[in-house]
Amino acid sequence: MPATFVGVRHHSPACARLVAATIAAQRPAYVLVEGPADFNGRVNELLLGHELPIAIFSYYRDGKRANAAWSPLCAYSPEWVALTAAQQVGAEVKFIDLPAWHSALADRSNRYADAEQRYADAIDRLCRTFAVDNVDTLWDHLFEVPDDDGLAERLAAYFDLIRGEADADENDRAREAYMAEWVRAAVAQAGDRPVVVVTGGFHRPALVRLAADPASTVDWPALPALPDGALGGSYLVPYSFKRLDAFDGYQSGMPSPGYYQRVWQDGLEKAASGLVESVVARLRNRKQVVSTADLIAARATAGGLARLRGHRHPARTDVLDGLVAALVSNALDTPLPWTTRGHLATGTEPVVVEMVAALSGDQVGRLHPDSPLPPLVHDVTAELERHRLDVTGPLQLELTAEPDLARSQVLHRLRVLGIPGVRRDSGPDLGGAPLLDERWQLSPDADRLSALIEAGAYGATLVDAALAALDERVTGNDGDIGALAAVLFDAALCGLPDLSEKVRDAIARCVGRASELGPLGQALATVLGLWRHDRLLGSAHSPTLGALITSATTRVLWLAEGIHGGPAPANLGRVSALAAVRDALLHAGQELGLDREAPLALAHRLAVDQTVPPDLRGAALGFALSLGVAGEPSAAARGAARPEVLGDWLTGLFALARETLLAGDGEAGDPAGPTLLAVLDETISTMTEHDFLVALPALRQAFGFFPPRERETIARRLLDRRGVRASARDLLRVSVAPELLAQAAELEARVDELLAGEGLIDVEKSA
Amino acid sequence: MTDHKLQRPPAEIRFADELARLRETDTGARPPGWQLSLDAARRFIIGDQKADISRKFVGDPSLIDRALVTLATSRGLMLVGEPGTAKSLLSELLATAISGDSTLTIQGGAATTEDQIKYSWNYALLVAEGPSTRSLVPAPMLRGMAEGKVVRFEEITRCPLEVQDSMLSLLSDRVLAVPELTGAESMVFAREGFNVIATANTRDRGVNEMSAALKRRFNFETVFPISDFTIELDLVESEASALLARSGVTTPPSRDVLEVLVTTFRELRSGVTEHGATMDRLSTVMSTAEAVSVAHAVGLRGWFLRGEAGTPADIVECLAGTAAKDNAEDLARVRRYLEQQVPKKKGPQWRAFHAARHALPG
Repeated sequence: MPATFVGVRHHSPACARLVAATIAAQRPAYVLVEGPADFNGRVNELLLGHELPIAIFSYYRDGKRANAAWSPLCAYSPEWVALTAAQQVGAEVKFIDLPAWHSALADRSNRYADAEQRYADAIDRLCRTFAVDNVDTLWDHLFEVPDDDGLAERLAAYFDLIRGEADADENDRAREAYMAEWVRAAVAQAGDRPVVVVTGGFHRPALVRLAADPASTVDWPALPALPDGALGGSYLVPYSFKRLDAFDGYQSGMPSPGYYQRVWQDGLEKAASGLVESVVARLRNRKQVVSTADLIAARATAGGLARLRGHRHPARTDVLDGLVAALVSNALDTPLPWTTRGHLATGTEPVVVEMVAALSGDQVGRLHPDSPLPPLVHDVTAELERHRLDVTGPLQLELTAEPDLARSQVLHRLRVLGIPGVRRDSGPDLGGAPLLDERWQLSPDADRLSALIEAGAYGATLVDAALAALDERVTGNDGDIGALAAVLFDAALCGLPDLSEKVRDAIARCVGRASELGPLGQALATVLGLWRHDRLLGSAHSPTLGALITSATTRVLWLAEGIHGGPAPANLGRVSALAAVRDALLHAGQELGLDREAPLALAHRLAVDQTVPPDLRGAALGFALSLGVAGEPSAAARGAARPEVLGDWLTGLFALARETLLAGDGEAGDPAGPTLLAVLDETISTMTEHDFLVALPALRQAFGFFPPRERETIARRLLDRRGVRASARDLLRVSVAPELLAQAAELEARVDELLAGEGLIDVEKSA
Repeated sequence: MTDHKLQRPPAEIRFADELARLRETDTGARPPGWQLSLDAARRFIIGDQKADISRKFVGDPSLIDRALVTLATSRGLMLVGEPGTAKSLLSELLATAISGDSTLTIQGGAATTEDQIKYSWNYALLVAEGPSTRSLVPAPMLRGMAEGKVVRFEEITRCPLEVQDSMLSLLSDRVLAVPELTGAESMVFAREGFNVIATANTRDRGVNEMSAALKRRFNFETVFPISDFTIELDLVESEASALLARSGVTTPPSRDVLEVLVTTFRELRSGVTEHGATMDRLSTVMSTAEAVSVAHAVGLRGWFLRGEAGTPADIVECLAGTAAKDNAEDLARVRRYLEQQVPKKKGPQWRAFHAARHALPG
């Protein structure tokens, strides 16, 4: 007897109803479900009595690639309904898709994503024909909203149309060939009893065709073996509607699980009113006014839209459109999220954000206590034993010693996974002193096991899980550059300086959103240090850090060009950001392929632009000079000779290229013109007393960049210029008694203390 | 009226044929006072290939749905968005579809007065005969209410607040009093089919804020720039080709050059490059309409200066005038874009674009 093929969209209540009805009517011998075939021996684990949603989590890792994939199941998933309905009629369930570790699924993190998304042309045309915004609205319009009469035929026609126009890629073809083997075997084994096949609708036309070939054998197909040296497996993990809704791009499936859960339980009409209620409740919780008049208007508009669009009851977007029309009375900054697909954009109207949250729902699944534990739990126990860390109490580690470094890395990996009972009291810190030892505090904690089970979703081994957690922290970062540097530092501490490829894009995105030069420059300097030097943590020349260096240099230059303003006290943050870029160009430029030309052009523009603050102008000049471009600092100094400008300009210059001051021999008649020192000497000597006092604080700051030995050289040159023969060192000595200085310092400290005590100044700043 | 003499005939003349066909085949229920059913009105605007109805507005179909349903209720429709997002075109199409007449238009501005909204007088007749329906000169609101038609109020936020407020009672009570007349003629009650479509620029918010009372009487719909690159490129190509043909240029614009132009506009508009890097958005509007006019200018330069279709270098020359206007900061942003973002893109046209960066003045 030929098999019955039910092509579904994953997570569609309408399809789930169809699956239930088909199985109940046919009472098949076998129900074949698109799912990881490696889980076939453990189908019973799924039926232990979990609270949905749950997911089958599969992981794979070998030397070259690593991936984690989820097959999420909720109450209205056609796959889940197939499992339970099969159990009721006594049919045997078989998962028939390739395991997640197979190369055909290498780039998939959501097995139940919409396959047809990758073949978008037909969908675009259908959307145009039915005048809807996107595939989700189209789906509601065609399948979720109308009666179930003829649903199977409509679904088949829809997927035939989409599949008819698309050539499936190699990966899909491999999966379909494998699934078809299962179908043929099942049909052969079932004899004259029916077989029901539940797969993604996109695969249905191909499966129908492939399964028509006669079976060569009646045996079940073999499970593709894991390659040698690779790790892989599948476990059940608790899942949540939020995560289900968070897949993006090609990984995304049907959105709005909270809403469709209601559709499944209560039907379309109640789901619509439930959606309105939960949006209103959320808004009122947030102290937003939602008047009865608004609700009436929303309902009227939703009803009108449903009639216009030919729906029996208001569908998802009818309700949302009605609510938006009634509740939003100003211009939106971003398009409504349900008219596009993808994540919420920043700047989305708060009312709309609440609507999307109401659609998502906040149901969280829970595993039955008898479920087997994820491998991470065992791996962590083994790792702790191997490194003799299964102890409690304080622990001191010497990072320069090999066994202690490995132990520190294990503890750091636990720390980034947020496992309780592991606390670091001191150790190397981002931007802090280069410590070589660490102090830890290990304590037993009741929550450790549950935290480990949850962290199990990140990966099967401690290394994988920590890597995945770090990856997530980078990709979840929205523009906090300090936090980004901290993650990369954590990665170095974990001994995992090379995060995944996709992290590099996330770094570039995050850096691209940074808007403050100071923190960005600081992060660049720190990371450049890690990249250049850190052999202790093994992060030298790590490509992940390289990615940050590359994007941060571009971003610093971009931000630097946007700064305008008159004379102002030098901003050391932005000056050191330019210095960090210069260092990156000097030390990493060649290896990372950084462009030199554009930065130099920019520096040239900044240096001569009078609307740029003086410190930045000076820094730009120093930038060019220290990269070996010829310039005329003495001429530029004459241009910046105003008392309120000079010191700040010099601060910028000296921060990047203080050697300029001591260049040249200072002899009169030098063909290169007077030296910078000569120009400065001349300028300062001709200042009136008032001008000098105006210029003094900034000048002090500028000359603070010179170490004592170079100050002495400056002093000698000045004496030479005047033809005075005396000790240069004497000029640097303070001529007041040391006791007086000590008294002054003490007085200052007392004033600070008083001010801090009264809350008038920040304690840390005064320190 | 013979339309081929008009520079820009109104929609009801341009699409008279389509409207007639839609009306003939329209079987849906019409809201009272409407010339078309909601469904036919929707097809008139977003097109219907089978019935040979052209697509007149590029954007989310759900926007049209919401707009039509709003107009069928007692609330007015407020179209807001950046300049150049085809708000006025949409309001013209909606009025045409619903009332068959898009000419009841009030153009808002600092000098708009109540007279231009409600009614004024023919003073010669007023002096000769006294106030009467003969000496009354109806303005769009009066006509719209009396005839049951949709009235368009363009750029409502450019009007002074007190003028905006004169709309309040008209919208809530749906009656316009003409106290100078007596008897039944002194009250003009709105007939079925009357409603108001207002448009407002989000960039003009600073000119005049809208009162909360007026806001309550409107449903807001934000019109966004076209989100799909290909659609925007196609639109710019077809519009620019039509403009160039009208200016006597016989070479169509080169697709590569337009691609550079549209990408540049989209990236400067959104502040995000296709590689995901963020940058400062321009303070000037980078609308599709502006892109069309730049494409037009590029084509003109290429043809009349050198006898060819225009090059990426022409875009650079034109950008200073359109993108930066006279804003020095925007000019700097454009320069940074040319210098730092453009080299990351691949293709000879982008290289030419980058090479021409020095043509940017200043």
